[in-house]
Amino acid sequence: MNIDYSQETPLIAGRLDLAQIEELIAQPMDTKPDRKYYIALSISVTALLIGAVSLGLTFYYGIGLWGNNQPVGWAFEIVNFVFWVGIGHAGTLISAILFLLRQKWRTGIARFAEAMTIFAVMCAGIFPAIHTGRPWMDGYLLPYPNQHGLWVNFTSPLLWDVFAVTTYFTVSLVFWYVGLIPDFGSMRDRTTSKIKKTIYSIFSLGWRHSNRHWSHYEKAYMLLAGFATPLVLSVHTIVSFDFAVSIIPGWHTTIFPPYFVAGAIFSGFAMVVTVLIFVRKIFDLQNIITIDHLEKMNKVILSTGMMVGYAYSMEFFIAWYSGVQAESFLFLSRAFGPYAWAYWIMVSCNVLIPQLFWFRKIRRSIPLMLIIVIFVNVGMWFERFVITVTSLNRDFLPSSWAYFTPTMYDIGLLIGSFGFFFTLVILFTKSLPVVSISEVKAVADGAQPTHHGGAYHE
Amino acid sequence: MSEQNNGLNTANEDNTPHPNYWRSFESLYRDPKVIEAKAHEFKEGVTDDFSPSGMSNISRRKFFALLGASAALAGTACTDYRDKGEIVPYNVKPEEITVGKPNYYASTCTACPNACGILIKTREGRPIKIDGNPDHPVNKGKICAKGQANILNLYDPERIKAPQKNSSLTFNEVSWKDADNEIITALGLAGSDEIALITHSITSPTMLKVIDDFKAKYPTAKLYSYELFNDSIKNSAWRKTYGSGNFPLLKWDEAKVILSLESDFLGTEGHKVETSRLFSQNRDVDSKKFTRLYCIDSNITITGINSDYRLHIRPEAQLEFVLSLANEIAKKGNITSAISASGYDLNNFAKKYNLDSKILNYLVSDLIANKGKSIITAGNSLPENVHIAVNLLNDALGNKNLYRTDSSSVSLVDHSTIEEFEALVQKMNAGSVAVVINIDCNPVYHFADDLGFEKALAKVPLSITLTERLNETTAVTHYALPLNHNFESWGDAKVRTNVFSLQQPVIAPIHQTRQKESILLSWISGKSDSFTEYLYLTYLKNNWEKNIYPTLNSKISFDKFWLGALHDGIVKTTSPVISYGAANTGSFDESKIEIKNPEGFTLIIKENYSLGDGRFAHNGWLQELPHPVSKATWDNYAALSEKTCKDFGLKDNDLIEVSVENRKLKLPVLMQAGTADNVIVVESGFGRTNSGTVATGVGFNVNSLLSSKSNLSPWIYSNAKITKTGDTYLVATTQEHHVFDDPLVQDLHIIRKIIQEGTVAEYLKNPSFIKENNEAQLPSVSNPYPYNGVKWGMAIDLNKCTGCGDCVVACDVENNIPVVGKDQVLKSREMQWLRIDRYYSGSPDNPKVSIQPMLCQHCDQAPCENVCPVVATTHSPDGLNQMTYNRCVGTRYCSNNCPYKVRRFNFYNFRDHFRDSYQENPILALMHNPEVTVRSRGVMEKCTFCVQRISEARADATHLKRNLKGSDVTTACQDACSSNAIYFGDINDKEEEFYKYRNHELGYYVLEELNVKPNVTYIAKLRNIHSEEV
Repeated sequence: MNIDYSQETPLIAGRLDLAQIEELIAQPMDTKPDRKYYIALSISVTALLIGAVSLGLTFYYGIGLWGNNQPVGWAFEIVNFVFWVGIGHAGTLISAILFLLRQKWRTGIARFAEAMTIFAVMCAGIFPAIHTGRPWMDGYLLPYPNQHGLWVNFTSPLLWDVFAVTTYFTVSLVFWYVGLIPDFGSMRDRTTSKIKKTIYSIFSLGWRHSNRHWSHYEKAYMLLAGFATPLVLSVHTIVSFDFAVSIIPGWHTTIFPPYFVAGAIFSGFAMVVTVLIFVRKIFDLQNIITIDHLEKMNKVILSTGMMVGYAYSMEFFIAWYSGVQAESFLFLSRAFGPYAWAYWIMVSCNVLIPQLFWFRKIRRSIPLMLIIVIFVNVGMWFERFVITVTSLNRDFLPSSWAYFTPTMYDIGLLIGSFGFFFTLVILFTKSLPVVSISEVKAVADGAQPTHHGGAYHE
Repeated sequence: MSEQNNGLNTANEDNTPHPNYWRSFESLYRDPKVIEAKAHEFKEGVTDDFSPSGMSNISRRKFFALLGASAALAGTACTDYRDKGEIVPYNVKPEEITVGKPNYYASTCTACPNACGILIKTREGRPIKIDGNPDHPVNKGKICAKGQANILNLYDPERIKAPQKNSSLTFNEVSWKDADNEIITALGLAGSDEIALITHSITSPTMLKVIDDFKAKYPTAKLYSYELFNDSIKNSAWRKTYGSGNFPLLKWDEAKVILSLESDFLGTEGHKVETSRLFSQNRDVDSKKFTRLYCIDSNITITGINSDYRLHIRPEAQLEFVLSLANEIAKKGNITSAISASGYDLNNFAKKYNLDSKILNYLVSDLIANKGKSIITAGNSLPENVHIAVNLLNDALGNKNLYRTDSSSVSLVDHSTIEEFEALVQKMNAGSVAVVINIDCNPVYHFADDLGFEKALAKVPLSITLTERLNETTAVTHYALPLNHNFESWGDAKVRTNVFSLQQPVIAPIHQTRQKESILLSWISGKSDSFTEYLYLTYLKNNWEKNIYPTLNSKISFDKFWLGALHDGIVKTTSPVISYGAANTGSFDESKIEIKNPEGFTLIIKENYSLGDGRFAHNGWLQELPHPVSKATWDNYAALSEKTCKDFGLKDNDLIEVSVENRKLKLPVLMQAGTADNVIVVESGFGRTNSGTVATGVGFNVNSLLSSKSNLSPWIYSNAKITKTGDTYLVATTQEHHVFDDPLVQDLHIIRKIIQEGTVAEYLKNPSFIKENNEAQLPSVSNPYPYNGVKWGMAIDLNKCTGCGDCVVACDVENNIPVVGKDQVLKSREMQWLRIDRYYSGSPDNPKVSIQPMLCQHCDQAPCENVCPVVATTHSPDGLNQMTYNRCVGTRYCSNNCPYKVRRFNFYNFRDHFRDSYQENPILALMHNPEVTVRSRGVMEKCTFCVQRISEARADATHLKRNLKGSDVTTACQDACSSNAIYFGDINDKEEEFYKYRNHELGYYVLEELNVKPNVTYIAKLRNIHSEEV
């Protein structure tokens, strides 16, 4: 293979000119949805409705409908929460951290990844609200001044969670929206529909592509990227505190914050790849979201997957090294006890299968990478399951041990959360530019002034 | 309409057509009439009737007020307001009642024939809690689980509320008058035909007199009494050995060595409450007095789990064992008993049944060494010849010393024999029985099918069941007459020679019920209108005045005596010192010995610990009380040994068919460690077919395996068979069954120091051996809260705790704990705040069992408290871990972080969830302890150390202007514990008895290394095994 490292590989394939780029990205919004779109939408809405029915029944009868029991106080609801928060990590990482690191390849996927972040955090946000025994009393979780003089407990990680996730959601949303403003401007200029024009006009905040706008915009974007960067690390750190701060063996571990963050990026990238594979095909964006993009993401998956694998082995090592009987027992029980099946699903999906990404051919093969990233998604859901359920089901007193079995309502809510997520994703693809038009144009060949006049480099 | 502003019209006054707007021709041509009319506001005459004084005098304000009021009325009338019933304040304060203060009344429990003295706590006229009567010499302030849960029977929504007449399979309510009329007529017409009265044990002398009166009025009446589980074999053996009387009461507290042969004296046999107390007095770390208990039985019982040595043999081998033992004792100790058993050798016996001969040697030497200080007791279910042999062996060992001489049990009426019942059935079939009256009993369910009682009952012209609720017998009798509950009835009881117990009602009958004695009395009178509220009270008082009072040589007048007796609940009498004559050495007939080598399976039918013979099957609290050994709830099962299961390829929850002769029953398997091989142990009391919402269809009716033809004994059947059905049936247990041979989970309770144990010998040598084992106190990085005042703590003496579970039910009653049902127990969501953990160690064949009551440890550094996001669980300055239900949103984080997993979560509104809101019935609300919040869906709850009792004691102390002391408060579990294993008090008060246990050298905390600083101390269990073994 002969690769010329003196030149950057083009970020956009197919020698598209700027107008073509805009045309290509704006295409889905200009055309009416086709039959396939409605089929996809109806599937995801069905899943959403399954979740809604499960949730409605849960509200009516109580969370006894779920499989949770006396030692296993948290199960699917918290597993889903952590899973979705994890999924929500890729977007901000791609758009903020990679932006600050000047990784220009991010432009093709940043918008979509950010949108997925927002939708994933919305999915995640549902679960802490509905997992309580008395969801109508959830207001007590908010620190509001009241005549009872009651205040929340700031020593509880669950409360930190509330703040961490809401902050993350707010900042991600603002960041995403700010990035969208120039594109709203473009869309407003393109559209012929009056209604669309009004909507785009409102959201474009009077954007006129002026030089001054651009300079303000870029400063704001940079600042927000700076804001968002620590949040990428903090959210899952704080989510991991829910577990790490407790005294239950299997939870009470100092490795959790980095382990959780790596896992979150790992699962987030896997989910982004899963969705992008379809999006670039369906919307004919192969030239903008190129195979190089996917390959780079697969490399991130490979590396974070190994971090996660390291964490798994380190947990075992420390469990043995610490000499804490309850902890070493718990880890043995994870691997060989009643939930061994879940543990080995997790290990094989998260550690073993991503190793295939060492091979360039596999990294660049769409069908293979799709299979692998789906395994990673499954594996990461099971990681949270293993952490949450297997630690609780066999803790200190053997007398209180009990096996957790999910009910149809647990599964219904899980399906519902996927339905909610994909419904939002599907609606997003038809209503907003899935790739940042302005940013892609900026990295297109000839868009930047160069010493050789912007000529196509050979 | 005035025209004055119309300038155009006024300027043109002529009659010419007006160019402007016009409304009529008159107007156009300016007709003066019209102009004139236009000048007036009203047409002429219109205002004639107008006068301000004649107008309605509703002012504008008033109009709006009325409008508003009617809108408000219309609004409120359409809301969901429902009349919640009458709430009537005490306009005139009843003499005895202070609102908010409980009243206690002494009475007698009639839940079983032990007739314990009880104190009933009432609040504003409703009984809410039962405790033992501390003055009662037998149960001394304690009461068993059934007695505790009896309160639920009173408020059971499914009690029959009026007389029911069975007309072609449906019950119709009839009036007492109609029922009485028909019955009295039928009784009168009985002629020479028999009137059969069937009842359980009669413990009331006055009831017996009522029956005598009944017999006098209706001479063909005959009384039959029975108990499904009884000690008749033991008593008849006693009579054969000693001539008369019943098997004596034993001085359990003085025995150095106890050998129990298939006897569950701490569980279902005899007076459990009394025996536990006496037995535990002999396991006292304070006086360092320890008995040694050997158990040789076929199934693991409460007695078995408390034994120091246990061997299991099949019940068929017991006779051979006793004979071999007698022979060995005769040989080694030079003690000759009346049994000449030279043909039997203990070593051969040990070999034959693969028993540990070391333990048998210990047993023999202990029995010899402790002559006169040991007890050999045989189980009620063993055949007569074993009992006789045991009596003679005890006699030879001089153990008569330990037969109590101050008191003995009294049976007012002997139970009817099986022959008598067979004769009754024959007569019923022959049509020579006119009336059958089942008095508060359920013979159709209890009697063996091959007796044919149910079919015979159909041939009786009139059958009547006096009962509190419909049952299998009422389904086939003509009348079901509702009885008063225990707490609505008058009565007396005499079950011991030295005491009478009195029963008084604490609440007026809730429904149209009458007590059984009153019903009989009104039938005796022959008049249907003879019933009055005081009918039986008058009779009872008369009987006492005329027949009992004179025998007591009381120096006070009867009226005073009577009120005093009611107040105390008991009348102590002097009982003559009981002497035991010489044993009849010929009572053991060796020629009749027939040692059969057991073949096939042996079926053992046992009384269930909580449901008894099924009498308490409808009681949800008792259904949900875990079995003391297996921890199963809501079901009975076939307990098989691990080896038997392996041999037959069975595992837990497999459905098998057990058959004896031609009787068959399908039962689920429960692998019970410690069961003898090839023995099937099944408990009775389940499989009720007509016992209301709670019990119908729960478990399996093992009575269908009973036979009226006694096998080894009425409860033990040799040659049973099992067949696999291939189906499964889930038994709900509150503890997982952990695999014995899984090295991962084996002995975790020992490794983690959850259970710390030692031996008596070790303790006597080094009293602080437990403390030396324990973790060093970790230094604190923060300043701990000082707790200068009263700080509550508990100590649980594991030497005394037998694991019976009475405390669990007491806690249920005290703290309004709901029943969750089998489906929720299967999901591990039981709500009991206090549970008894059971751990096995050693081999599954013969495990060592450790028992540990587990409840909220009220940790000083409680891990639950800092994780609650809404501060719903906090610590009080007197050391309690508190729950604020109102604030709890139910994140369950506290429960996750509790290392003891003692928190309980309301996954549903369990009162609504269980059996279609059965527990939401308004009548059950009367049962709730008003001092304890009834929790609803979605909140966490847990043991509060009975904070309501602490508050009450504090209020009393404040009222009396003194400081609150630890001894002012007892918890409900402590009150219930018949072996006094639970101590509660102030950790800081050095003067108190509690302080000694809190700081005992054998004391330890569970999971001490977590440094959560629990306030529950466990006193390590000491096993009294031979020091050579240590």
